[in-house]
Amino acid sequence: MNARISLAEPARPACLCMTLLPMAAALAGLLWAAPAPAGSYPEAGRVLSIGGAVTEIVYALGQQDRLVARDTTSSFPPEAEALPDVGYMRALSAEGVLSVAPDLILSEESAGPPETIAVLKEAGIPFETIPDGTGEGGLIAKIEAVAEALGVPEAAEAPVARLQAELDALAALAGKTETRRVMFILTLQGGRVMAAGQDNEADTIIRMAGAVNAVQGIEGYKPLTDEAVTAAAPDVILMMHRGEATADLDATNDELAAVPALATTPAVKNGAVIRMDGLYLLGLGPRTGRAALDLHDAIYGGS
Amino acid sequence: MSLIARDIHLRLGRTDILHGVDLTAPVGRVTAIIGPNGSGKTSLLRALAGEIVPVSGRIALNGLPIVGMRPEVLAGHRAVLPQQSAISFPFTAAEIVRIGLTSVAGDQIRQGALIGEALAAVGLPGHAGRLYQELSGGEQQRVQLARALVQVWQPVVDGAPRWLLLDEPVSSLDIAHQIAVMRLAADYARRGGGVVAVMHDLNLTGMFADHVLLMRGGRAMAEGAPAEVLDSALLSDAYGCRLRVGEVPRAGVWLLPHSATL
Amino acid sequence: MVALDAPRGRLAGDRRHLGRALAAWLTLLLLAVSVLSLGSGASGVSAAAVLTDWAAGRDLAEIDRVVLFDIRLPRLLSGVLVGAALAVSGAVMQGLFRNPLADPGLLGVSAGASLGAISAIVLGGLLPPSIAALAGWHLVPLAAFAGSWVAMIVLYGIATRQGRTSVATMLLAGIALAAMIAALSGLIIYRANDQQLRDLTFWGLGSLAGASWTKLGAAAPIILAALAVTPFLARGLNGLALGEAAAAHVGLRVQRVKAGAILSAAAATGAAVAISGGIGFVGIVVPHLLRLLAGPDHRWLLVNSGLLGASVLIAADMISRSVVAPAELPIGIVTAMIGGPFFLWVLLSNRRVLDA
Repeated sequence: MNARISLAEPARPACLCMTLLPMAAALAGLLWAAPAPAGSYPEAGRVLSIGGAVTEIVYALGQQDRLVARDTTSSFPPEAEALPDVGYMRALSAEGVLSVAPDLILSEESAGPPETIAVLKEAGIPFETIPDGTGEGGLIAKIEAVAEALGVPEAAEAPVARLQAELDALAALAGKTETRRVMFILTLQGGRVMAAGQDNEADTIIRMAGAVNAVQGIEGYKPLTDEAVTAAAPDVILMMHRGEATADLDATNDELAAVPALATTPAVKNGAVIRMDGLYLLGLGPRTGRAALDLHDAIYGGS
Repeated sequence: MSLIARDIHLRLGRTDILHGVDLTAPVGRVTAIIGPNGSGKTSLLRALAGEIVPVSGRIALNGLPIVGMRPEVLAGHRAVLPQQSAISFPFTAAEIVRIGLTSVAGDQIRQGALIGEALAAVGLPGHAGRLYQELSGGEQQRVQLARALVQVWQPVVDGAPRWLLLDEPVSSLDIAHQIAVMRLAADYARRGGGVVAVMHDLNLTGMFADHVLLMRGGRAMAEGAPAEVLDSALLSDAYGCRLRVGEVPRAGVWLLPHSATL
Repeated sequence: MVALDAPRGRLAGDRRHLGRALAAWLTLLLLAVSVLSLGSGASGVSAAAVLTDWAAGRDLAEIDRVVLFDIRLPRLLSGVLVGAALAVSGAVMQGLFRNPLADPGLLGVSAGASLGAISAIVLGGLLPPSIAALAGWHLVPLAAFAGSWVAMIVLYGIATRQGRTSVATMLLAGIALAAMIAALSGLIIYRANDQQLRDLTFWGLGSLAGASWTKLGAAAPIILAALAVTPFLARGLNGLALGEAAAAHVGLRVQRVKAGAILSAAAATGAAVAISGGIGFVGIVVPHLLRLLAGPDHRWLLVNSGLLGASVLIAADMISRSVVAPAELPIGIVTAMIGGPFFLWVLLSNRRVLDA
């Protein structure tokens, strides 16, 4: 969905009165033009990166010196956090973005609000939308798209080769052992299990790691009833730990065992609980191949 | 010119309140509506004010039916003092009185003077700037009376009398102010206006009323001159307690001795 | 015997001159805040320099033009309209419900708007592509406006019998309706994914970041029309302070006042919420402060609420844009964080009046 919104004409103050008319307002919504061709900007020296995965890719390409700012979700590698933060990627402010004077904006698809994106595009700053990619091809395409936009396609070779190797390794591992059932628990607030169903990052990485999501038939992250938890009977429980304060934020094995529904699961009985860094696990960026391998090792006990 | 109600039937919700009440309030007189609690006095007054529409019967003000009269026209003919008035915001006394001028044309300075005069007339000169909520109950009642007064300040306009409809105008007042307010009403009537007041105090009724309607159970028991209506047997029957009406000979008014027994 | 004590023959207790003077000062304040807002921003573009160039007919740098005319100006005007709409609607609702804590939320407007926004954010993807494309990214504001309007019409219909609107019924039915709408919203939220949940949270906190000429063009006529009605309600709302019966006694057409108040407040709030999402506290704090300064007479209260509401929102927006620049805080956080303690202070220092 690489759509570009073009207002009839860059609004000059003289014609503002016209755009004030509600009719014109409705019409402007109609003017969705064809996708713009992806550009290449080797000269761009002030790049704004929006989206954790995109920022990670910029670093993986060794192009971090060209970054001037990032959004709130861009917290890896840790050096990225030293860059000015233009806010949460779904609630950007046009002038805040312009104030870091970028000459190229690299953004994940979900950046917003749309009004801000429209103004940024109108301001004449190249705005490159990197397609969301989840599958094998998607991850590689993402890296290549960022490299292309930065005008350094050759820089993609090393990270892509590494990712490809990791994906190949995963493929080779697939089916070698009995498939295990994994339940990803997002939160455990007050003993209520919020687990990952289909169509989300956790489900993707579980499948990449050669395991099966124990929770089937729901979408996104949803609270489960106790009976559904018991019925899912996961062999392994997967959780995130968030940075340093791990112990405070996430449930210990004892706490898991204290939830009656979980206590009966093979995972809790056997103490098969895996905790990984959230961004590493769910970031769907250049490290995802590595993360999936790590997860595979954790689930199946190494190789 | 008078305020006439004929065969008024009134229902509020599922309760029948009035069962065919008649009243003829003459102009230039103070008409008192008396009767025990729940006899329908206030409901009758609200119907006379055009506030609630009777199920049947008709009400004519100076010969014109009030049903269907435009609110601003009606407001030019009569002003109403309700029983209680809680005010939601910190208005000053002057601002409350000014609300009475909502439908009254006039320039600012004249209106300002009128508000001052009305407040003085109810015995509250110098209270214009006081917050209504900080006044005593009796003072609040008199501010409301001033608010009603400015609406129909001249008792007669173009030969047509105007009316003051008062619901227990002296209920919160001390005896001196009770008399002052009743005098004000009597004076308004003497100058050609009409006054209809729901009264609880039978002595004040005896002192100031020229015409009395006695009600019980949503019906008129008697209507006429005080000498006829303020009768020991009638009142005892209406209120359900033994009352004896005496007379202060020189003043010619009827007073109830306070030795009334239940 | 006439109580004319002021030098110019002014009656004591008549505070309209205060209202008038306040209106003049508030106009100046609004102008000052507007100039300040136009001149400040993360990008450091100087409004004065750009405007001078523009007036002289010189070509403007692309960035300067966009920052001033496509970012700051629509945002400033949106702030003026939204602030005025929220504050005036608040004052109107307080007058109608005879309660200084009333707000357009009692009309179901806020609940309806948030249901609309939630539906658009979460279920927007289910629309046929042709309709989705037609509404484009205006889907959320459009849905919010429609939601507010539908909720208000339903509530007004419930509370109106034989041409008379019962304010008490409206209040109680509003609570029931809000509960039903909240349940429906919860049902939709259950379907939401993580990203949509974050969108909902941000929407609920309000922001002028999405201000654009298009949005402004759609909302401005509605808000301006609604605000234009309110001066005609002033006398009626003053009368209603005495209660509905007494208001009718002094010659007011009470039902007309009630309908006008409800429709104008709902329209203004609905359009404002569509522009900016949920912004709290302006509608309660601004009228309350003005009542303390110049009395509750609606003739000046409504005008002054508009002026002060606009200034307050623009100022809050400046803060929201500057404290975490280049990012920005949702404006609802700013209004509540400043408005809350301020309101508390006002309440505590005026206990005497309130308790009376």
